[in-house]
Amino acid sequence: MNTILKLTLKFTLAVVIIFSAATLISDSVDIQGISTEHLSAEKPWVGADEYQYDPGQTVTPEKTLSSKVNWAILVFVVLMVLVLANAFDISKYTAKITGRETVNQNNVNKWIMLFFMIAGFAAVIWEYQTHGAMILLNDSSSAHGVDYDSMFTITLVLTTIVFFITQALLFYFSFRYAHQDGRKALYYSHNNRLEVVWTFIPAVVLTVLVLRGHQTWKSVVYAEDNYNGKMHSIEVFAYQFGWKARYAGDDGIMGNVDYKFISGKNELGLAYKPEVDSLVVDLKKQIAADEASIKNLNTTILDGLMADFTAAENLRDYKNMESVQKEIDAVKNGDRLDELKASIKRKTKQIERILAIQNDKKLFASTFTSAAMDDIITQEIHLAKDSLVTLNFRSKDIIHSAWLPHFRAQMNVVPGMPTKFTFRPTKSTEEAKKERGEEFEYYLYCNKICGVSHYNMKIKVVVESQEKVNEWLKSQQPAFIKREMAPVAPAIMNDTLKTSTDTIQKMVVR
Amino acid sequence: MSTATINDSHAVGHHGDAHGHDHHHQSFITKYIFSTDHKMISKQYLITGIIMGCLGMGMSLLFRLQLAWPDETFPFLETLLGKWAKGGKLDPNYYMALVTIHGTIMVFYVLTAGLSGTFSNLLIPLQVGARDMASPFMNMLSYWFFFLSSVVLMSSFLVETGPASSGWTVYPPLSALEKAMPGSGMGTTLWLVAIILFIVSALLGGINYITTVLNMRTKGMSMNRLPLTIWAFFLTAVLGLLSFPVLLGAGLLLIFDRSFGTSFYLSDIHLNGVGALSNSGGSPVLYQHLFWFLGHPEVYIILMPALGISSEVISTNARKPIFGYTAMVISLLGISFLSFIVWGHHMFITGMNPFLGTMFMYVTLIIAVPSAVKTFNYLATLWKGNIRFTPAMLFAIGLVSMFISGGLTGIYLGNAALDIQLHDSYFVVAHFHLVMGSASIFGMFAGIYHWFPKMYGRMMNKTLGSLHFWLTFISAYLVFFPMHFMGLAGVPRRYYQFSLIPEFNIWMDVNIFITLAAILGGIAQLLFLYNFFNSIFRGPKASKNPWESNTLEWSTETKHIHGNWEGDIPTVYRGPHEYSRPDRELDYFPQYEIGDGEPEHYHAPATAPDTSYDGKKEKATTVFFSSFAHLFSLRRA
Repeated sequence: MNTILKLTLKFTLAVVIIFSAATLISDSVDIQGISTEHLSAEKPWVGADEYQYDPGQTVTPEKTLSSKVNWAILVFVVLMVLVLANAFDISKYTAKITGRETVNQNNVNKWIMLFFMIAGFAAVIWEYQTHGAMILLNDSSSAHGVDYDSMFTITLVLTTIVFFITQALLFYFSFRYAHQDGRKALYYSHNNRLEVVWTFIPAVVLTVLVLRGHQTWKSVVYAEDNYNGKMHSIEVFAYQFGWKARYAGDDGIMGNVDYKFISGKNELGLAYKPEVDSLVVDLKKQIAADEASIKNLNTTILDGLMADFTAAENLRDYKNMESVQKEIDAVKNGDRLDELKASIKRKTKQIERILAIQNDKKLFASTFTSAAMDDIITQEIHLAKDSLVTLNFRSKDIIHSAWLPHFRAQMNVVPGMPTKFTFRPTKSTEEAKKERGEEFEYYLYCNKICGVSHYNMKIKVVVESQEKVNEWLKSQQPAFIKREMAPVAPAIMNDTLKTSTDTIQKMVVR
Repeated sequence: MSTATINDSHAVGHHGDAHGHDHHHQSFITKYIFSTDHKMISKQYLITGIIMGCLGMGMSLLFRLQLAWPDETFPFLETLLGKWAKGGKLDPNYYMALVTIHGTIMVFYVLTAGLSGTFSNLLIPLQVGARDMASPFMNMLSYWFFFLSSVVLMSSFLVETGPASSGWTVYPPLSALEKAMPGSGMGTTLWLVAIILFIVSALLGGINYITTVLNMRTKGMSMNRLPLTIWAFFLTAVLGLLSFPVLLGAGLLLIFDRSFGTSFYLSDIHLNGVGALSNSGGSPVLYQHLFWFLGHPEVYIILMPALGISSEVISTNARKPIFGYTAMVISLLGISFLSFIVWGHHMFITGMNPFLGTMFMYVTLIIAVPSAVKTFNYLATLWKGNIRFTPAMLFAIGLVSMFISGGLTGIYLGNAALDIQLHDSYFVVAHFHLVMGSASIFGMFAGIYHWFPKMYGRMMNKTLGSLHFWLTFISAYLVFFPMHFMGLAGVPRRYYQFSLIPEFNIWMDVNIFITLAAILGGIAQLLFLYNFFNSIFRGPKASKNPWESNTLEWSTETKHIHGNWEGDIPTVYRGPHEYSRPDRELDYFPQYEIGDGEPEHYHAPATAPDTSYDGKKEKATTVFFSSFAHLFSLRRA
């Protein structure tokens, strides 16, 4: 009787705590009509610039809600810490008085186990509802995204069930079978039938998932195999720190490219003879300059640096002094000489390789076609709604990753290795704006660590009707010629572009 | 009885045993610095690991500050970091450096060396009944290579261009080209040197662990009587021995590319401010294959010791035999084997052939089966137990919880199709911090609390231990659980600042919340540090077997001696998990106790429903083990 009474009391206490916590959270959820001034006064630690990306926008209810809830959780956690500390403190004193300690602490821990389980499950459910509403699911803007979302949902449901069952068992067992004096645990070392059962069940479930996953994966990576409609291909070019897109010009054929042809005026390295020739001239000039530097390194250059240093010294410009000193050191210890030599070697090699292409008749003819002249290089990616598009990725320098979260599309962009991703956008930017608000735009983000500005390397993606894409393309300037001088003029962006997919595979010319 | 044996043979042992003399004449240097005693080396590993852990966690708090309050300035940062936090705002390059070194420290220096190094060294000789490691000198070298490696790694903070900052995976070309980012200069050179030293340390240690387990077990300690900790350490060492050399190769090739102009990983690169590079014909993806050939087994190198420790701790404190010892060992073997053929799941979207992606997806999801079996066995061990909530037990239960939560998200990431969207998002961060980070660090804490009496001869404070557990446990969930949702909403990892992109900025509140929770977690670790260092000097004296455990290490005296046992090494008569046997009065039955003729395993009468078992299957497992033992011809009488 006594123990039952004690148990009921404790249970009531736990329920009261949970309920008060729940009320705390739900109360804070209810407060939504809160003024902006109040909010900023309450969040002095946020900083005034937090919302600077859109100063006109007022704080949305969601924002108020989640920040309030954060506070509620924080208060809740602090309370819990206090309760825990108190509980342990009490146990310490009782231990001192009674001389017995283990039983008491064991009970405290046992009850926290139960409490943690209930509070934890409540928190998980709350997370699923609140933050779960913010995730990208069932709102895909691409055709394969629907498959993706259903695959995801299946996995989510299965793992959630397993999560709740196993965690519940773990904490319930911990609570239920906590130490009691005079009780002996059950000696139960194995049951092979049971092992077989719980090997078999996960194996079956995982087989289902793996087969379904295989299907989805196949439908994504071999998207063009079962497709008969319009197909486009666009080159997406990544560099530190930005993106460019390249469309075939009026001739409908992508020009050849080579990293060796990249220069200030030819950012994507198109095979366009006049530009490449002027690059060779430039390189030769640079080599001559480097050679001159080597010659004068220990005479005029060093003297100049010394003079700079003295000047900086007189001005007490310590920062400048430091940097000049570094250069002087580099000259004196030979680092600068090595750098210049390496630079000459690198540039000579580049010229050699360019000339090797130019001097080989066959290679020259296949590389320097007229196709590159009218290619259109853009600062945005425009995609036609409902037609299959292959994004062919090329990197200028290091590995980047092109991520289009709303299209469930991602592919690494690897220097020296062409990669691609094929998908069919099904939701135009206009439609997406209706769902997500007027400010919304699709973006392609960089998702592979690539250096100092990695966090802001993105390009706008616009999905619109075919006509609008064509119109937009018309308004863009071709890379090297005026639009009127375009070599051939078939209808742009139509089925003939399918052939250019093959061209792109041969894109990288060595 | 074993105690009697030890007392009787005390005098004999003292003269007959070469090890017995050493401890009287040790100088400070041979005892505490260049010690060849495995117990001292394990303490060295632990203390170094704890220091590295504090540094690693401190770094994570610094970059969490940046993520939560990107527009605030923190003047103390400038005091701390100087030019890297001008005006109290963290430099983006330094943010990357912190992320990189945090990952490196946590993965290699804390969870590989700090966890496996500490407990393999402490427990392998003590639990198999050996006087020391097979090669104590190599063991000492192993620690000092590790120490040197730590020093080299930390020294990269003193370099002008900052430490390596291309992520803990240091993918080339970013890490190979000095001009691509400042951290790829001297910082990366030091990183590579540190990792090579670390690999040397891991290999020296690993060879030693394997040899000791296979050759130096005491009389009666057959492979199927090994505690699960030893199985885990043994297989971990095997994994390390087979995979670390591959990372060594990858690192050396990267050094060649960086310093000697080769093109293993470089091709077709035009770098800003440099121009077209001459390198041609290499493949950056080659590095990724080599790296993840280590990288994936590495995950299990980290996790398996923690699983082994938790098996031992759960069995001891639930006062029950670990459920399905054989299944646990087979699971470990399965995980070890499979971990070598799943590396491609880190590379689904690197442009690898999609067909290869399919194969890697199949094997990756298979690996979930042994993991599930282990989880169910843990649950069955707790069932009808008599659980003592020591801090170690709490952490072991926490490990199981984290292992479930983080393991389940692995099912998403192992699925090639789902990985398209989840790759390199915060979902991945949440996943591996739960299953590999938190679970393993919980295993490490469980080990520290459980074997502290054996290491230092004193007890840690239980109350502080419990408080430490609950705070760490709660804060770990609060930090990592919301990250899943951020990832699913499309928030990429390794971003310096989210406030520039409206779509990511809506998570600002969550980022603040996570940072606050992380600070709470950091504060909780202070409790641990206080408890740990205070208990070393002022904790109450421990008894010989404070947890009433079965394994061999508790038969040694609390005072450390070189050679571990004063007299003969005790003989082993049964498996390590004979708790709560109905035919015994006490609820534990040490491996080294002769007993009164009880059978090795207690078999309940056939009528008892709970302990029914399949006779045929039992035979099969016996055959399995004896064949295994014969294979290595290791079974001892």
